[in-house]
Amino acid sequence: MSEGRDDHGHGKQSFISTYIFSFDHKMIGKQYLTLAMAMAVVGGVLAMLVRLQLGWPGMHATFWEKLFPTGMASGVMTPEFYVMLFTMHGTIMVFFVLSLAPVSGFGNFLIPLQIGARDMAFPFLNMLSFWTVVPGAIIILISFLVEGGAAASGWTAYPPLSALRSAMPGSGMGQTLWLVGMTFFIASFTMGGLNFVVTILNLRAKGLAMMKLSLTTWCQFVVGVLGLLSFPALAAAVILLIFDRSLGTSFYLPAGIFIGDELFAHEGGAPLLWQHLFWFLGHPEVYIIMLPAMGFTSDILSTFSRRPIFGYRAMVYAILAIGALSFIVWGHHMFLSGMSPFLGTAFTMTTLMIAVPSAVKTFNWLATLWRAKIRFKTPMLFAIGIVSLFVTGGLTGIFLGTSAVDIPLHDTYFVVAHFHFIMAGAGLFGALAAVYYWFPKMFGRFMHEGLGKVHFWFTFLAYYGTFFPMHYLGIAGMMRRIYDPNTYDYLKPLQSVNTFISVAAFVLGAAQILFLFNYFWSMFKGKKCEALNPWQANGLEWSTPSPPGHGNWEGAVPEVHRWPYDYNHPDEKDADFTPQWKSPAQLKAEG
Amino acid sequence: MTENSETKPDVKHGAAMALSIWAIVLVSVVYFFKYGMPELAAERTSVDTLYYVILAITGATYVIVQGLLGFYIWRFRYNESAEGSYWHHSHKMEVAWTLGTAAILIPLVFAGLVIWDDVQAAPPDDAIVVEAVGAQFQWDFRYPGPDGQFAEFRPELYSLQNPLGVDFDDASAADDFSRTNQLVLPVNRVAHIRLRSKDVLHAFFLPNFRVKQDLVPGMQTSVTFTPTKIGEYEIACAELCGLGHYRMRAFLSIRSEADYEAWLQEHAAPEAEAAADN
Repeated sequence: MSEGRDDHGHGKQSFISTYIFSFDHKMIGKQYLTLAMAMAVVGGVLAMLVRLQLGWPGMHATFWEKLFPTGMASGVMTPEFYVMLFTMHGTIMVFFVLSLAPVSGFGNFLIPLQIGARDMAFPFLNMLSFWTVVPGAIIILISFLVEGGAAASGWTAYPPLSALRSAMPGSGMGQTLWLVGMTFFIASFTMGGLNFVVTILNLRAKGLAMMKLSLTTWCQFVVGVLGLLSFPALAAAVILLIFDRSLGTSFYLPAGIFIGDELFAHEGGAPLLWQHLFWFLGHPEVYIIMLPAMGFTSDILSTFSRRPIFGYRAMVYAILAIGALSFIVWGHHMFLSGMSPFLGTAFTMTTLMIAVPSAVKTFNWLATLWRAKIRFKTPMLFAIGIVSLFVTGGLTGIFLGTSAVDIPLHDTYFVVAHFHFIMAGAGLFGALAAVYYWFPKMFGRFMHEGLGKVHFWFTFLAYYGTFFPMHYLGIAGMMRRIYDPNTYDYLKPLQSVNTFISVAAFVLGAAQILFLFNYFWSMFKGKKCEALNPWQANGLEWSTPSPPGHGNWEGAVPEVHRWPYDYNHPDEKDADFTPQWKSPAQLKAEG
Repeated sequence: MTENSETKPDVKHGAAMALSIWAIVLVSVVYFFKYGMPELAAERTSVDTLYYVILAITGATYVIVQGLLGFYIWRFRYNESAEGSYWHHSHKMEVAWTLGTAAILIPLVFAGLVIWDDVQAAPPDDAIVVEAVGAQFQWDFRYPGPDGQFAEFRPELYSLQNPLGVDFDDASAADDFSRTNQLVLPVNRVAHIRLRSKDVLHAFFLPNFRVKQDLVPGMQTSVTFTPTKIGEYEIACAELCGLGHYRMRAFLSIRSEADYEAWLQEHAAPEAEAAADN
């Protein structure tokens, strides 16, 4: 069962089959990661432009006109350009960065190495899934260049705004390309999910029971299931919206819509149908982004604390509970949508239920640090950062999950603050922690530690500086997605908060340049990783040289004898760690 | 154990991390005292009370858990002489923090649901009923006039002259009147606002009244609340509705019963005449 497939591991590979249409899970993982980083640059620049407008609304600068002749005609940002900016920022970050990097990138790279498989179960499907998402990303990028600009109906693309071309400039070609790009993304992600589930169930090394899996792999397993079950709902939603836009159907469009002196002929549809389908995906999607980060955090905290992860079994149950509950909480995005208030009652109950396994995870992480011997390398700093962000973002979820308190806070910056802590923060910090930790496994070199620490400090402090004050804006009633808050008298006193946030956001954005530089510099010039197991970790991925060759292990795949969290095991006399591949006999012989 | 740079503990960064977390907690909590919700002008005090209860509970949890995180990082930074620990399981602790979290959340859920029910309750018969119509990017407020009856509206009648699609053949149309971007209500009377949209989604948001509800084309939604303070307030659109979303702003004037009646008199008459001319 552990042999997997080895048929592509021999003989010299051409450039194209090694670097482009590779079947190798490690190369595919790196390809995903590279794509995610490229998309993150675009998504990040969009966020900077959003903050430019909110920090200094209506600021005039002639050089902008040269850069964006329509979006900033006469040197001032137009409202339609602004709406397009946050729409595409959300879309690119949620799907093409925070899903691709931790899930498709690290899932593909790590799962076979952590479970002792030679590759993913379906290497061809894996290659196909990557080359399905690439056209999706290209279509999304091209949509910036079409007439009317890219989509501008929010990343949630609620119809009728997204369904009727005359409703919005970006509701023309840009929105169509958005839908087509998303279709490619969904197809890709569904293939990936299938591969994750089948691989983890079938290709584990000898001795690796499910209850000995690393929590990273457990999380990726649940993510695979979530992706497989939830993305088809969005696929259906997207296809129906394409029909409404292009074929004149009325899935989302009721009778009586009147825009620009035109009464539309549609009848019988319901705008809320889209919201239900969208959030049936959308909420599991939040956990698709967060769960891998929770897995990385667990593994990294344990390694650098020199402590076993606390409450492993409870952690696994919590991951499964979060996965299951994530399918029955979607309505909390719709308390005020016009959905029956009785459903609001039900969704409040299920939503606050999900706080319980989330709290269990946090307490277990804290208990892991108890009586630890912590080494503060860059991956560990980011992992601690995730715990902190997760606590902050988790607690604000209690406000929003309570339907009555959601009334004043819904669609305000409180929500923006909440999801940037819990979902975006976990996803971003998770991906960064994982890059610093597994970089030597990927490239045989280390990232520059000093630069990594500088990157961490700017990122962590600027992250809080950017997103925490958004809670105050939301409580004071500032709506999301507004081009100029100063239109409202009651929001005018908040301008100084907005300006502060923008400055912090620019620091946060600039700090990521350090990361990109470090990443590409270290790939070629970083300190070589000579040791087999540089972090003195226990995971199976550290039993093979870095980077591993085709087929992952030179000889036989090692047998697994224990979970990956045996730090300071009482029977171990030589070191403070006992890797998964160390047999009880070896342990005894040494003792 | 041989020291190499990958296992060097860098404990200074641990101390810095602990201090940073504590500093963030301190600063972030202090500013919660500076920024609050807009002044409440409706009967929905229960929403605010629950907000403050949740703020107190989550605030305390935030301080304790982040505080502990910082403390553990500082206290358990690498120390060669410290005893390593293999302790990694406690059934009792898992049960305790599972049930403990649930015990805090369950009363919150029920308190929240009681308030939610209250807010969603059907209006009393003597409520003031106004229709709010949202369209890119303005609000129109239609009053039923002395007869208390709204004339039917039909989308096929929408036009520049008849933006609300009112059927003027309807007998109750004569005394109906509407104002653009201006809603006037009497203080201490239950107001029931019927919401409908002509085009895309909008949300009727009254920051001072803790009122927010989406407008959905093809559906009628509504809100019920009781203004408690005389004054001038802002109405906002809180659901993205297009490029002019940010300026879909209107005004809500809460007046004494007498001033409200006078205002009704003043506005009902001329428009009824204009409608009769049609």
